Amino acid sequence: MLEIKSLTKRFGDVEAVKDVSIAVPDGAFLVLLGPSGCGKTTLLRMLAGLEQPSAGQIVFQGQTVSDGDKNWSVDPARRNSGLVFQSYALWPHMSVRGNVEWPLKVAGMAKADRAARVDEVLQLLDIRQLADRYPNEISGGQQQRVAIARTIAPKPGVLLFDEPLSNLDAKLRVEMRTELMRLHRATGATTVYVTHDQIEAMTMATHVAVMDGGRVQQFGNPNDLIERPETAFVATFVGTPPNNMIPVVKNGTGYKIGGKHMALEPPAEQCLAMYRAEALRVAPEETSTSLPMELVEVSAIAGRTMVTALRDGLRLTAIVDSAPGLRIGETVHMQLPDQPACWFGPDGARVQ
Amino acid sequence: MADTAISGQGRRVRFRQGTLLKVLVLALLIALIVLPLLRTVLFTLQPDVIKAWSDVLTGRLSTNLFYKPLGNTLIIGAVVSTGCVLIGGFLAWLVVMTNVPFRKTIAVGATLPFMIPSFAAALAWGTLFRNDRVGGQVGFLQGSGLDVPDWLAWGMVPTLIVLTLHYFSLAFTIIAAALATVNSDLVEAAQIAGAKGRRILMGIILPVTTPALVAAGSLCFAGAVSNFATPALLGLPVRMQTLSTRLFGMIEVGQVGRGYVIGILLVLISGVFLWAGNRIVSGRRSYATITGKGGRAKRFDLRAARWPLCAVAVTILLASTIVPVVVLIASSFAPSSADLFSNWTTHYWLGQSNPAFAQGTPGIVHNQDIVRALLVTLGLGVAVAFTGMFVGLLASYTTARYREGAMSAAITQISFLPLLVPGIAFGAAYIAYLGAPIGPLPALYGTFALLVIAGTAYLLPFAVQTGRAVIQQVGGELEESARLTGAGFARRLAAITVPLAIRGLAAGGILIFVKIVRDLSLVVLLFTPTMPVLSVVAYRYASEGFGQFANAITVVILLLSIAASLLANRLQTKSQPWLKN
Repeated sequence: MLEIKSLTKRFGDVEAVKDVSIAVPDGAFLVLLGPSGCGKTTLLRMLAGLEQPSAGQIVFQGQTVSDGDKNWSVDPARRNSGLVFQSYALWPHMSVRGNVEWPLKVAGMAKADRAARVDEVLQLLDIRQLADRYPNEISGGQQQRVAIARTIAPKPGVLLFDEPLSNLDAKLRVEMRTELMRLHRATGATTVYVTHDQIEAMTMATHVAVMDGGRVQQFGNPNDLIERPETAFVATFVGTPPNNMIPVVKNGTGYKIGGKHMALEPPAEQCLAMYRAEALRVAPEETSTSLPMELVEVSAIAGRTMVTALRDGLRLTAIVDSAPGLRIGETVHMQLPDQPACWFGPDGARVQ
Repeated sequence: MADTAISGQGRRVRFRQGTLLKVLVLALLIALIVLPLLRTVLFTLQPDVIKAWSDVLTGRLSTNLFYKPLGNTLIIGAVVSTGCVLIGGFLAWLVVMTNVPFRKTIAVGATLPFMIPSFAAALAWGTLFRNDRVGGQVGFLQGSGLDVPDWLAWGMVPTLIVLTLHYFSLAFTIIAAALATVNSDLVEAAQIAGAKGRRILMGIILPVTTPALVAAGSLCFAGAVSNFATPALLGLPVRMQTLSTRLFGMIEVGQVGRGYVIGILLVLISGVFLWAGNRIVSGRRSYATITGKGGRAKRFDLRAARWPLCAVAVTILLASTIVPVVVLIASSFAPSSADLFSNWTTHYWLGQSNPAFAQGTPGIVHNQDIVRALLVTLGLGVAVAFTGMFVGLLASYTTARYREGAMSAAITQISFLPLLVPGIAFGAAYIAYLGAPIGPLPALYGTFALLVIAGTAYLLPFAVQTGRAVIQQVGGELEESARLTGAGFARRLAAITVPLAIRGLAAGGILIFVKIVRDLSLVVLLFTPTMPVLSVVAYRYASEGFGQFANAITVVILLLSIAASLLANRLQTKSQPWLKN
């Protein structure tokens, strides 16, 4: 088990992480997902032992490694964890082999064992032919592999990744994603992975914690987040394309949605209606449940078409079977289904 | 697979991270920098010394003790800083913004004067212009039959000229750096708007570089008012006093209290100007813009003025660097300054004691005093380079790693404090601080240790500056990733930090070596016959009329500085496979 209990981190007056509690079983792949500045990297650095929590505990495999309340901490090197930095932080004056070997040397491993282990992890990451090169002589993707090899060489029980793929180009990113999942199966280490890319989170994670403003908005498996978003933030942050969120306002006896009266029965006077992209249609002409909007984007996705329209700051995305015969800038009638998929209150919480 | 059991026992985090290190560094800096200054002030406040304040400021002697030297000092500061900004700014403009011929040569030449000790030019001036007013040897011009007037041979005018020709190179460096950041787009936009050369200069370039001009002016001012060697060599023989020569004189004759009071006032004056300059600069927006675009597409076309302006620049550079060096070398071989380029002899270098020459003083290689001074100077340079870089690295590491908190701010402030303190006043403060025993610690006056400690403290701002650059290079995550492996502080330092930083450290160490080897103002008060250093020996010879010996020793100092700089270059290009591309 990897447990995080009521963890809080304050920098001066700023609360970067607020009362976070998460627990995942051994061997889990936990993704901390959120926009930049949401506290996910701070949380990861606390897990690594580089930052001391202001309150709360971190427990690895039954042993408390950080306790903010008692101001007590296990040294970063003795937590049985390893961190892959966003910048890779390869030591430029050591060869690839040197980079992977040095942590083992520090740990006091015998020379023969060391050489064997280095060969093993270089093999695992398919970079053995680069062993004698220096970091500036290899590509970004290869540097990434070296950084990972260096981190897994001491066989940590908990692997921590800080946005490891953000410096790679799109194609390499997809490859490394697969590679990291293979590695996760091979090592069996509990993995904590920080990213702002929800696609990475959805494809790799067994558990996802969506964070915003230092708090965990929702914690669950990727399917839960798609099927049952708990907050409006999660609903609009997760999913490809993300869900549509339209404010509903009481107007006289009825309700206005997107500036138009529709026969809706919202649970409260002010709330947000969520519509899935695949539930929206493009109507040939105005209907009682369509909204006239300006067509801004059309793109083909896997045999279907993604249509995005904009009006008065409201942005709707629909996935439809065929492209509308319209040009960008013309009016498109975005047809809403009879009922939204779910409702969110003005505070962003899901209304049951 | 997690087969490494959690081996570690936790420990209590007693302090915020880094508190111990911060306390240690702060204590060290306080001991090195704050206490000497504080002790000097406290010394003058003792009941039997406090009268020194009224003697200096209001007493019967105050005009001669303080106000006349103050007037001279302020004239020197004002004229030299104005001259430096004009000359340095002119050369910087030529080099950075125009198509003057030999741009690169002029750029290198303009940085040279600051590499030679400031007393070298003063000695060279004496060798050329000295007349018979104070007796002893006459200079080359007088010897050639010209009648050199007193105002050109001694006192204010030569002091102003020599100091301006020394410090303009500081102004050049600062202004050229600022001009280089003026984006060529700015100039081109003005050209498209229809502005012509003069209009562009006054309307765009000058306003954008004002902060650099002010900074250059205030640094040259502070340098000029605290300079000791030049007014001492050219002004003292005709009783022209500045605050720094007055301070030196007071301590030499044992009026320590008055000397310290003058020292404190000197610190305040140079500090106020630096502070004011800083205020003006930081009060306004910084316009310096750094963009990815390098190189200036179009340079200002000087047309017919190209060669005349080039000639002006070359004349300035010849007068500031080449002529002094040639004169010093020639003089060290010439039997007398009046006869500079004939009858050369190697006596001043290789000769045995001979009553016909310089009252029997043997040549440099046989002169025990000079050889000893050379060894002490070399030892001092090496020792200060090591201790300085050590303390500098420690301080910059601490502030870079633990940025927050009042203690980090204090460490930064204190480490740059010596910049405000003229060398001679710092030397005086160290006599007050370590000249007498403190508790069980013995008095350090006249010991090598005192020179090393004072030199380390005095040059700390440069060491910290270099240290910061080095730390930035090594970066936070590289060190953090080493920490995660469990390597201790010493091991991380040895395996990660030092190998990555060694080039920067070596260059910084050599910079400090050169600075201390050619320094006169700090060591002139700490000098004792048992612990001689070259610059002070040269100064003594010069004041006693043995110009050739002074000049020959200065040539030795020049050679040391040049050799050290070349070594630094060599170290920097040393093969490092991880830097090859």
